[in-house]
Amino acid sequence: MALFLMIKGDVEMNLRMKQKLMGWLFLVPAVALIICLSLYPAIQALLISFKTGTGVNMHWNGFGNYLRIFEDKVFLQSIKNCFFYLIIQVPIMLILGMILAVLLNKPNLKFKGAFRTAIFLPCATSLVAYAIIFRSLFATEGFINSVLIKIGILERGYNFLSEPTSARIVIIIALIWRWTGYNMVFYLAGLQNIESSIYEAARIDGANIVQTFFKITVPLLKPTILLTVIMSTNGTLQLFDESVNLTNGGPANASITMSHYIFNKAFLGVPNFGYTSAMSFIILIMVATLAFLQMKVGDKRD
Amino acid sequence: MTRRSSNILTYIFLTIVSFVSIFPLIWMLIATTNRSVDIVAGKLTIGTKFLENYRNLMVSQDLWNFFGNSVKYSILTTVCSLFICSLAGYSFEIFHDKAKDILFKLILMTMMLPFVALMVPLFQMFSKLNLLNSTLGFLLPSLSTPFLIMMFRQCAKSFPVEIIEAARIDGLNEFQIFFKMFVPTMKSTYAAATTITFMNAWNNYLWPKVIMTKSSSQTMPMMLSSLTSGYVTDYGMLMLAVLLTTIPTAIVFFVLQKNFAEGITGAVK
Amino acid sequence: MKKIITFLLTMSMVFSLAACGQGSGDNVEGKQGGEEKNEHTLTVWAWDKAFNIYAMEEAEKIYQKEDPDFKLNIVEVSWDDMQTQLGTILSSGNYSELPDILLMQDFAYQKYVMTYPDFFTDLTESGIPFSEFPEGKLGSSMVDGKNYGVPFDNGTEIAAYRTDILKEAGYTLDDLTDIDWNEFLKIGKDVLDKTGYSLLSVPATSSDFILQIVQSAKGGIWNEDGSPNFVENELLKKSMSIYKELLDTGVMTRGNSWDEYIATFTSGKTAGVINGCWILASVETAKEQAGNWGVTNMPSLPDVQEATHYSSQGGASWGVTTNCKNQELAVDFLKKTFAGSIELYDTILPSSGALATWSPAGESKVYTEPQDFYGGEAIFELITDFATKTPTFETGVYYTEANDALAVAATNICSGGDVDQELKTAQDTVSFNMGN
Repeated sequence: MALFLMIKGDVEMNLRMKQKLMGWLFLVPAVALIICLSLYPAIQALLISFKTGTGVNMHWNGFGNYLRIFEDKVFLQSIKNCFFYLIIQVPIMLILGMILAVLLNKPNLKFKGAFRTAIFLPCATSLVAYAIIFRSLFATEGFINSVLIKIGILERGYNFLSEPTSARIVIIIALIWRWTGYNMVFYLAGLQNIESSIYEAARIDGANIVQTFFKITVPLLKPTILLTVIMSTNGTLQLFDESVNLTNGGPANASITMSHYIFNKAFLGVPNFGYTSAMSFIILIMVATLAFLQMKVGDKRD
Repeated sequence: MTRRSSNILTYIFLTIVSFVSIFPLIWMLIATTNRSVDIVAGKLTIGTKFLENYRNLMVSQDLWNFFGNSVKYSILTTVCSLFICSLAGYSFEIFHDKAKDILFKLILMTMMLPFVALMVPLFQMFSKLNLLNSTLGFLLPSLSTPFLIMMFRQCAKSFPVEIIEAARIDGLNEFQIFFKMFVPTMKSTYAAATTITFMNAWNNYLWPKVIMTKSSSQTMPMMLSSLTSGYVTDYGMLMLAVLLTTIPTAIVFFVLQKNFAEGITGAVK
Repeated sequence: MKKIITFLLTMSMVFSLAACGQGSGDNVEGKQGGEEKNEHTLTVWAWDKAFNIYAMEEAEKIYQKEDPDFKLNIVEVSWDDMQTQLGTILSSGNYSELPDILLMQDFAYQKYVMTYPDFFTDLTESGIPFSEFPEGKLGSSMVDGKNYGVPFDNGTEIAAYRTDILKEAGYTLDDLTDIDWNEFLKIGKDVLDKTGYSLLSVPATSSDFILQIVQSAKGGIWNEDGSPNFVENELLKKSMSIYKELLDTGVMTRGNSWDEYIATFTSGKTAGVINGCWILASVETAKEQAGNWGVTNMPSLPDVQEATHYSSQGGASWGVTTNCKNQELAVDFLKKTFAGSIELYDTILPSSGALATWSPAGESKVYTEPQDFYGGEAIFELITDFATKTPTFETGVYYTEANDALAVAATNICSGGDVDQELKTAQDTVSFNMGN
């Protein structure tokens, strides 16, 4: 009997071990690639961030680059801009994306494919085209202005892209326009993993749409919501395209983002890759802090 | 509110959102038929210059070379990275333990460093390995992405553990469970991931423009950049090129979006 | 377990086959490229198919008459992309990835030569006749008296006006020739009142226009020791005030982006443009305005002894990299084409509007031909003449930083900021960027 138990335990041990091993095996390709192509260069970049100099003449500088950041008015401005975008744009975009996903998940809805594709298309549209369109829409004599004048809100054309606040708002509108459909895709995929019987049960219990949304959809979508929140946080704090193409950071750096500024410093001006690396690590620290806070709230294991 | 009126409201809402979404695309379509000067001036009516723009584009750019490169790079990236990342994401959730959770966070952090900081070290590495101007050079940095790994990790959370246990008792090994149970069940996630990965690979720009120094290996986004680099930009030609750049992603999405609707309920019976 | 291992092996095989198969395929291609790179082939990076690349192709044809095996491998790289590529290649020290010849923006020459001393080949003693290029143009590709580039793309400043609109307000092109900015303002206000047209527009994203005015008065923005000279710079302040006044009076408008700026004159919203002569290529896209444009020199700074009517903006030159394995060929090619072939310039001028900076070409007949778009004016001869009178301008290593900082200052001044205060801020910003 004792022998039997031992053998059984052994088999179980073996199975557990085997599963553990398999788990790691599954990870090998992905982790190996990330170590070689992200972690290793990142460590090199970290080393560079403690050096300074122009071009290839670099010398050690300790924390000099990191201290320098606090005196860099443009970079501080760009941090403010990024957080402004983050706080206003991300919630609007994600909630809108979720509502659209729920609507487009209705089983009896017609033209679902067409609606979904249309709403997804903005993020597939090349930046070149949409930057030109947005700029012309918001130009002083553009479409938006003529509508606002017709309704009587404005008396004459307003140069949206030449005023700090309105330029930032244009960027936010552009971001919502471009990325809502993208996030909707994740929610749509996430919704498929919720069994329809749960909704049936809720309907029988007499729950209305709003109650179902908050009591069933949101909690069950939690893993997807966490994914989109972390990705949007990362995407917004590393925002580059819109700042470059829509406003070119202007007027007077009022809408410039951190990545845009880093890129300018690295490739347009006289390069100091030590300083640009240091600024990049500041972004890393900010995103990581936020992401881990978000995971603390949204990624609890039972 | 009756069911019918709420339905009508839904349609109205969706129509408005759809219109706002595709308005620029419509504008782009119209633009491909107009002269450059009219496009910049904001003309919104269909013109007659489509063939002329098309001819100009064909003469000025080796379009199909760039298009072919983009197709090749994007499909390879999508296939390989979906396999690698879904395997990893599945493992991070199903076989999770303390060590893997920590590893996962570490991996996630590599995504938070702007790519600009990695470019010079990566370039050094790829240049030494003779990977410049090669397909592998394009692929490697985008094969294993924290984003995709996390996406599959998150969706694996809704994969019922009982199924796995049952399968194990039935004698299926871990790979069989992954391929026969997980992959078909998560069809909708795979469809979504395919669309997103394809799009990202298709629009990938910063890295390719650094390592692709030969005309023969360049991609569509680089062609667009060249089209806007002259003293005079021909917007009619440019918009046609932009349209051609947008279509493949749109098709991939349209084909796959139906699969979004067939999730767990359809597959596990 | 066996199954698993078999499976894993298969998968990794499939994966590596997919990837490496492609990789090795590319390598073959790479080798072919290497073989192509024989003694008679040069690789060139340049942007703009219709302009720079076209000129290079014509130069190739001309040189082929002498060396039938000669071949150029021209890669189209936009200036934006090239900056990223160069930054990465140069900083990583892999100079072997550089082409043999590349087109370099004049304003960036000093930066690249000073930051990466081994990037460009010193061409001073190469036998290329540099004395045959106008000083104002040559200066931008020179560092410490050494030549690093063969000037090509002309950036001579011109003022172009819609003669039909001027006529409506009772003016002619002559009234706007050899004037100063005060007179320009007066005429501008009058034109605006009578016709509703602004005389001028600028893009809001750069301070190029202000620097053009500074240059026209033989000014600069750097001190002897290389530090920025904004605050005590009377010429800069004057240029800034003129900029502000032009905007305040509505004589000048600002486009938020480059294409908005272009649209102001191609769609007929403004009656004039002052910029490097390459802007004419954009002006000419508005075919329905043909015959209604005229070209003349720019207004000068009033009450300044040294003030002229000439300046420059943009332009580019051909540089030879140190990676070029066949320096002799590259130099000989440039010497016999861009610095020695009237035939080349005679070919490219009529078909692409590429104006020579090489003086002997300017004497060719082609330059005196009247241009219908400009009401029969022989504008090429005129611009070539302007080029010889253009003062040199020290772009400096930190030109981009200075330009950005001044653009911010200009924007703030125009929305009510104090000139001295804003220039001080701009100077501090540049100083900050120069420190490590």
